[in-house]
Amino acid sequence: MSLVIKNLTKQYHKNKIGLTNYSITINKGVLGLLGPNGAGKSTLMKIIATISKPTGGTLFLDGQDIVKTPDHMRKVLGYLPQDFGVYPNLNAYEFLEYIAAMKGVGGKDLRKRIAMLLEGVNLTADAKRPIGTYSGGMKQRIGIAQALLNDPKILIFDEPTVGLDPEERMRFRQLISNLADDCIIILSSHIVSDIETIADEVAIMKNGILLEKAIQPDIIKQVEGRVFETLMNNGELTRLRTKHLVVNTSRQKDKISVRYITRGNEHEPGSTTAAATLEDAYLFLTQNS
Amino acid sequence: MNYSYSIIKADYLQRTRSYSFLITLAITIYAAYSFVPPTNAPYTTLNVPGYRGAFNSAWVGYVSAMMTTVMLSLYGFLLVNSGIKKDIDTEVGLIIATTPITNFGYLLTKLFSNFLVLLTIAGITFTVSMAMFLVRGSGYPFIFADFIIPYILFAFPALFLVSGLAVVAEVFLSKRSILQFIIYFFICGAMMAGINSPKPGIPTAVFDPFGLSLVTGSIKNQINTEFHENIKQVSFGFIFGDHKTFRTFKWNGVNWLGIFIFSRLAWITFSLALVYISSFFFHRFDFNQPLNKKKKMATYNQQTGIAEIKAVLDAGPLPPVVADYGILPFIKTELLLLIRKGAKWFWLVTGGVWIAMLFAPLNIAHTYLLPVIWFLQVTRWSELVTKERTNRLHYFTYSSYQPLFRMLPAQILAGVLLAIALALPVIGRYLISANINAAINIFSGAAFIVLLAVCLGIVSGGKKLFEIVFFMLTYAVTQKISAIDYLGAAPHRDHTGYITVIFILILSLGLISFFVRNYQARHL
Repeated sequence: MSLVIKNLTKQYHKNKIGLTNYSITINKGVLGLLGPNGAGKSTLMKIIATISKPTGGTLFLDGQDIVKTPDHMRKVLGYLPQDFGVYPNLNAYEFLEYIAAMKGVGGKDLRKRIAMLLEGVNLTADAKRPIGTYSGGMKQRIGIAQALLNDPKILIFDEPTVGLDPEERMRFRQLISNLADDCIIILSSHIVSDIETIADEVAIMKNGILLEKAIQPDIIKQVEGRVFETLMNNGELTRLRTKHLVVNTSRQKDKISVRYITRGNEHEPGSTTAAATLEDAYLFLTQNS
Repeated sequence: MNYSYSIIKADYLQRTRSYSFLITLAITIYAAYSFVPPTNAPYTTLNVPGYRGAFNSAWVGYVSAMMTTVMLSLYGFLLVNSGIKKDIDTEVGLIIATTPITNFGYLLTKLFSNFLVLLTIAGITFTVSMAMFLVRGSGYPFIFADFIIPYILFAFPALFLVSGLAVVAEVFLSKRSILQFIIYFFICGAMMAGINSPKPGIPTAVFDPFGLSLVTGSIKNQINTEFHENIKQVSFGFIFGDHKTFRTFKWNGVNWLGIFIFSRLAWITFSLALVYISSFFFHRFDFNQPLNKKKKMATYNQQTGIAEIKAVLDAGPLPPVVADYGILPFIKTELLLLIRKGAKWFWLVTGGVWIAMLFAPLNIAHTYLLPVIWFLQVTRWSELVTKERTNRLHYFTYSSYQPLFRMLPAQILAGVLLAIALALPVIGRYLISANINAAINIFSGAAFIVLLAVCLGIVSGGKKLFEIVFFMLTYAVTQKISAIDYLGAAPHRDHTGYITVIFILILSLGLISFFVRNYQARHL
C-alpha cells in the first residue's frame, strides 16, 4: 500500500497558500509531520482525508486517484482531526455506533468491536455516560477509538496527544506501534518527542513546502557535530543568539546553561559537544530555511 | 465608555458577518418593497375596509415605519436572542467573566448590540421606503420628515424594547430558547393589542410600546369624518383578499405631541431598567449544573484511574469489520438526537398538544395545534444539518463514505418522521373522514418544513434563519394567510396546483441542499 502525492498545491485565496508543489510518497509505517504553525500540516491531512480539494497536483492511493474518487480513500480511512467535537447527548456506545454507520461498518459483532475499542482506550467504565460530561482527555480517547472502528489502512492523526496525560500518551504510542505494521499512519504533532519515539520517517514542513523527508537518523545527521552546550552569564546570551541558533536554555544558580547549534564552523570557547536530537534538527531546518 | 464601544462593535460585527444575516437583509429588502403594495396587488398592509391612502410621503413613510416596527418586533427577537448564548457556546463568556466589566455593563453592551443589529435592518427598510415613494410616486412632494420621524418615534423605541427583552429572556431563561419564543410571542401579542384599541388617542398611545394606535386612530378619525363612516378597526400585516375598488383619501400624518415623545423616552428607560434589574440575576457564566457534572466526572476518573486498567489496545483480536452501507443506523441515531434535544419536560408540553389534537375540532387541530406542535420542534429541526458544525463533528461526517447519499437523506428522513409522528392525530382523523387531500397536505407540509430547515441550515450555516422563517410561516398559517400556507390549513381553490407548487418547492430545496453540501464536504 502506498500513497503517492505529486505537486500538490492548495491556494485558499490570492494571498494565502496552504501547500506549494508538495510531493511525497508514503508507505506502510509511521510518518511524523513536523512544522511550525501555518506550515500546512493540517491542510495536507485534510486533503488526504478528502475533506479539502487541492487546487493542483495529484493524490494516488494504490494507483487510484482519490481527488476524483474520494470514496476509495474513505473506505479505508481512520481520521482524528485536531479540533473535533462530539454529540454531547450521546454516550460512547451510541456515538461509536453512529460513526460506524458513517464508515459503513455493521454486522452482529459491531457492538463487541465497539466494546473492545472502548476497553482499549480505557473508557469502558464511562461508556454509558453522555460524552458531554467527559474531560478533554476522555474525548480525545473517544476520537482515537472512532478512528480505528473500520480497521483502517490509512490512519491520520492530527495532534493526537493534545489533552492526554503522560500515561495516556505512553499508551497511545504503544497503540501506534501495534498498528504500524499493517497500515500507513500519518501523524502530526508539536511535541517533537512524540514523533521521535513513534515515527519511522519524519517529514519537516514550513510555509506549505516540504523541507525534508527521511528516516530519523538521516535527518539528525544534518546537525551532528554542530550541537554544543555551555554555561554562561545572562548578559552573554543576547550576543550568542546573534551568532548561533539557541535551541534551549535553563537556569543553573547564577549561570545559564545554553544548548545551541552553530551556524558556521566555529563554536564558543568552553563549549562541549552534545548528541544531536530530532528536535535540534527540526529547529535547525525550520529556522535556517 | 471606550471599552463598551469596542465590545458593542465586536459583538455587532460578529453577528452581522454571517451568511444568515446577509440572507436576512436580502429578505428584508424584498419585505420592505412589499410593505407598500401597488394598487392592483392582491393584498394590503394597512387595511381600512374599502379605503386606501394616497401614496404621498406621509402614507408611504408611516406605513413603512409601522410595518417595520410590527414585523421586526415579531421576528427581531428571534434574530437577536442568542447574544449571550453565543458567548457561552464559544466560551468567550469565561474570559469576559474574569474582566472588570460589571454585569450591567455587559448586559448593556448586549442590549446595544441587539439594537444595532435591528437598526441595520430598519435602516434598510427606511431606505427602501424612500425608493418606494419614487417607484409608487403619484406626484406628491417628497417630505423627508414624513419618513424619518415615524422611524425615530415608532421603530426606534420598539426595537430598543425588543432588544432589552431579548437580553432579559436570555438572563432568566438562558438556553431555553423555545420557552423564550413562546413567552415573547404572548408578550408581543399583548403589546400589539393596543394598536386597535377601541379608545385610540394619546392616553392609549402612551401606554402602547409601539405607539401605533396613534396612527390607526388618526386614520380612522379622518375616514369617519371625511366620508361619514363608522370604521372601528384598522388591520396590520400582509392581509390577502380579493381585489376591490378602493376609495382613496389623502392622509398627512399625525401631530406629534410632547407627551407622546416623552412616552417613547419612557419606554426606552423602561427597557434599560429591565436590563438593570436582570443584571442582579445574571449568571456571569457561572453555572451550577456543569460544575456538578464536573465534580461527578472527577469522581469517576478517580474510580477508574488509568493505572488500574491494564488493557492496551491491540487491533488483532477485534472482530472482523463487516461492511454495511445502509442508512438505517443513521436514521436511528438522528432520531435519537432529535428526541434527546432539549429538556425532557418539554416533551410533556408536546404530548399535551398531541393529545389535544385528538379531541379538538379538526379545523382547530389543523390550523392552530399542528403548526404549534411543529413549531415547538424548531430547535430540533434547525440543527438537523447544522449540528455537525456546531459540535465540530463535520470532519468525521464529511470524510465518511458517501455522506451526501447516506447522511443527508438519513437526516431528512429522521426530521420528516418526527414531523409525521407529531401530526398523526390529525392525519389519522383526516384519513378516517376520507379527506385524503388534507392528509396529503400534511405529509407534503412535513417534507417541506424539514427540507426548508435543511436547505436554510446548509446555505446559511446557522440555525437562526430557519427559526425566523419558521416562526413567520407558523404565524401565517395560524392567520390563515393562504399565499404562504405550507400546511394546507387554509382553503385552496385548486388543490392540484397547490400540491404541485409545494412539490416543486420541496424538490428545489432538496436540490439546493444537495449541491451546496456537496461543495461544502470537499472544501473545509
